[in-house]
Amino acid sequence: MDTPETTARYRVSNRRAAQLMLWTLAWAASLAAARFGPERWWDAQASPAASWVAIGVNVLVGVAWVVAFARFLRALDDLWRKIMQDALAVTLGAGWVAGFAWAAADAAGLVTGEVNLALFPVLLGAVYVAAVAVGWIRFR
Amino acid sequence: MRNRIAALRAERGWTQADLAKRIGVSRQSVNAIETGRFDPSLPVAFRLARLFGLAVEEVFTDEQTDG
Repeated sequence: MDTPETTARYRVSNRRAAQLMLWTLAWAASLAAARFGPERWWDAQASPAASWVAIGVNVLVGVAWVVAFARFLRALDDLWRKIMQDALAVTLGAGWVAGFAWAAADAAGLVTGEVNLALFPVLLGAVYVAAVAVGWIRFR
Repeated sequence: MRNRIAALRAERGWTQADLAKRIGVSRQSVNAIETGRFDPSLPVAFRLARLFGLAVEEVFTDEQTDG
């Protein structure tokens, strides 16, 4: 039933998804190395170059990750690309609104406790996953 | 935009999954296109028309001009 054209399209889509997964893992690993390396694997005071290298690698792998995500989006079919783009728009909006609201609250002296900024990307990730799930349910 | 995809598919005895495989999209895409919740891109519209042996305008109609 599958034509060579559709089979090739599936293969490209699957390959791009696998590449994205690998780059995601690589980015997470490089981030872990940059974050925990100075504490566990080398002395940050004695060898700051190692920390710079770890951060540089993390940024380079991050750029490759973004490229892999863009290629993944291009390989999706129309509907899934729309679901992903809608989810990205919601995520960007949520990040923008939450970020500026937090900055305004902080400037007004309303933020009294310590807020870990690392939670912000976690929030964005959760919003993105939720928005993709909503899109999937909407077009199920 | 309205379309005759559900009827054309039924004439051939294909499921939504069958049609999705033939044009290289997800089953959800076929469902969303058939129910008018999502308009396909031009390449997908042309693939659908080619598969049914029809012109694009025989498969899709613009509600604003034909409604």
